[in-house]
Amino acid sequence: MLVVNIPELEIKKGESIGLVGNNGAGKTTLFRMILDLIRPEAGEVLSNGKNVMGHEQWKNYTASYLDEGFLIDYLTPEEYFYFIGGLHQQTQANVDDFLSTLADFFNGEILKKGKYIRDLSKGNQTKVGISSCLLQKPELLMLDEPFANIDPSTQIRLKNTLKEINKQQGVTTLISSHDLNHVTDICDRILLMEKGKIIKDIATSSSTLAELEDYFAVGPVN
Amino acid sequence: MISTFLQHELKSFLRSRNMGKNLAIKIVMGLLILLFILYVFLAGFFLDKILALAFSKQDLIICFCGIIFIYFLFELISRMQLQELPTLKVQPYLQLPIKRNTLVQYLAITSFISAFNIFPFLLFVPFIVKIIAVKWGAGAAWAFVVSILGITIFNNYLALYIKRKSNLNGWIFLIFTAILVLLCLGDFLWHLYSIRNFSYLFFGHLIGHPVLCILPLLLAAIMYYVNFLYLRSNLYLEELSSKKESYKSSTEYPILDRFGITGDLVANEIKLIFRNKRSKSALIMSGIFLFYGLLLYTKPGFNHTDYPAIFVGMFVTGLFIINYGQFMYSWQASHFDGLLVNKISFTNFLKSKFILFTMVSTVAFLATTPYVYFGRRILLIHLVMYVWNLGVNTLIILYAANRNYTRIDLTKGAAFNWEGVGGRKFLIVFPLLLAPYIIYFPCKYIQQPDLGLALIAVIGLIFIITRSFWMKKLEADFYKHKYTIAEGFRTK
Repeated sequence: MLVVNIPELEIKKGESIGLVGNNGAGKTTLFRMILDLIRPEAGEVLSNGKNVMGHEQWKNYTASYLDEGFLIDYLTPEEYFYFIGGLHQQTQANVDDFLSTLADFFNGEILKKGKYIRDLSKGNQTKVGISSCLLQKPELLMLDEPFANIDPSTQIRLKNTLKEINKQQGVTTLISSHDLNHVTDICDRILLMEKGKIIKDIATSSSTLAELEDYFAVGPVN
Repeated sequence: MISTFLQHELKSFLRSRNMGKNLAIKIVMGLLILLFILYVFLAGFFLDKILALAFSKQDLIICFCGIIFIYFLFELISRMQLQELPTLKVQPYLQLPIKRNTLVQYLAITSFISAFNIFPFLLFVPFIVKIIAVKWGAGAAWAFVVSILGITIFNNYLALYIKRKSNLNGWIFLIFTAILVLLCLGDFLWHLYSIRNFSYLFFGHLIGHPVLCILPLLLAAIMYYVNFLYLRSNLYLEELSSKKESYKSSTEYPILDRFGITGDLVANEIKLIFRNKRSKSALIMSGIFLFYGLLLYTKPGFNHTDYPAIFVGMFVTGLFIINYGQFMYSWQASHFDGLLVNKISFTNFLKSKFILFTMVSTVAFLATTPYVYFGRRILLIHLVMYVWNLGVNTLIILYAANRNYTRIDLTKGAAFNWEGVGGRKFLIVFPLLLAPYIIYFPCKYIQQPDLGLALIAVIGLIFIITRSFWMKKLEADFYKHKYTIAEGFRTK
């Protein structure tokens, strides 16, 4: 069974990409291949010109959060942030500084609550995962359905943050979502996947949202 | 309705991940359980002989009546430790149009499916049939069986009730266990009273007045009802499932700081061990096995050869490596993807395993130095096996870890937990156990036991010195299996 079949796809530095498609379209599998978690049967993924398989440089500038499997769930959020920060040579003071800028995003529910990550709600776990990505100051950020499970205020804050790091710091962002409003709002380029193929590659314009809504209203052509 | 529930229960058992995968495991598991039941049954069948041997001066019936309460007291203690609460299973039914009482009844009935409720019958009924029925007739025998049934039910629901209560307040568990332990101590250590006399007081009278068997039945009914009422009024998700959360504070291990990222990885793994049920029990098991030597070394015939010491030495200094290591990297299955995509080189990951093994084994070795009491040679052999464990067994275990693709759930206890156990696990036991003997035996055969020990130590040392070479091999080997491991760990 062919899960993902993409002859060619190029993402330029500084682009903001939105990945949409119904369940089972292959979005997460594509992400996992880019992150060298699944070996493609054929072809390769190049990051900065180097194959992600067999190389590890890409880990220096890539931050990603796909699901709870990325979190060390028996740590407290603080311990986890210090650990991730430590991997990027950040001291605890650095990490604390950075976390203080996220106070709004956390809404007082993450830090100093005396809970392990596994005891947080799913939305709060997502927040921990996303913040740990931001903490790494990546050049490439990959998030799989970051808006799922989190509350509307945080969704809006997250959208602003993502726009900001893309526009001001030039971070390449790759985001999948089922929320068409959100992706068309923050992404300059939309990839539409169906049954493992990228069937549309659109530069976002004022008509994109309507175009996507049309597609999803009819449903994938069988 | 309840029969539908029971069907679901059966399906969940037959289709559970631990069951279906491996036929060999199923057979081994089944045999072990059968063997255990057989042992209990044999103990029951020959209980009259055993009692006659143990208390030769006393009347058989007095002994038998005396031990029943003692058995149930210890049973209650083990129930408190081992019996599982059948709670979360009702979760999918709570919101459906099903009567509350039906659900509670179902919970109460399934909680009765437990090996604890079979053992007393296996143990006592043969004696009742063989001795009591013969001597005092069917009436008395039935009175005994009914009484034992009553106390079993009483114990079953009392243990569950206390466990449920202690889900809300951890102190209740401690206090109740303390009371049970004090009850035991009061008899066996301080001799304030005698549980055996108390037990005989009841069961002795039962022979003359079989009607008395209503008493335990009544107690059982009361306990069942208390449990029923409690469950019915507390059938809410959060009260059934989650334990009351205490404040979890962050911990740091400053000693590990100088190892950099590797040290962080070790710190994480130590936290993993202490903060999860299954890994914690693996560690505790290794701790208990430190006393293993006492079993063998105190036997008079065992001092002439080195064989027992080699065996014990390997176990006491290396049980953690074997017991915890055999499930690597499954311990980290739930966040393995995270480890792979983050900036962690596999070399550091491997190094952290070696540091962890070395730390725990060193502590174990130091803790077992008092065995020097049994002779200095024993300590020497322990040291040799410690070196061997660090040099060779760590590598074997990590080589096997590269071939371990099954996820395990850390929140379940380790006792009777077969998750993550596979045929491969049994295979690696052979090189682990046999290799030192293969080296030692020929030397012993030519009357050079010291040479054998020296060889084991030297080989261990060589592997420690050349460790970086073997780590490269392990790393190359890991990259071959990486995707299979990650995929295996992802499938729940």
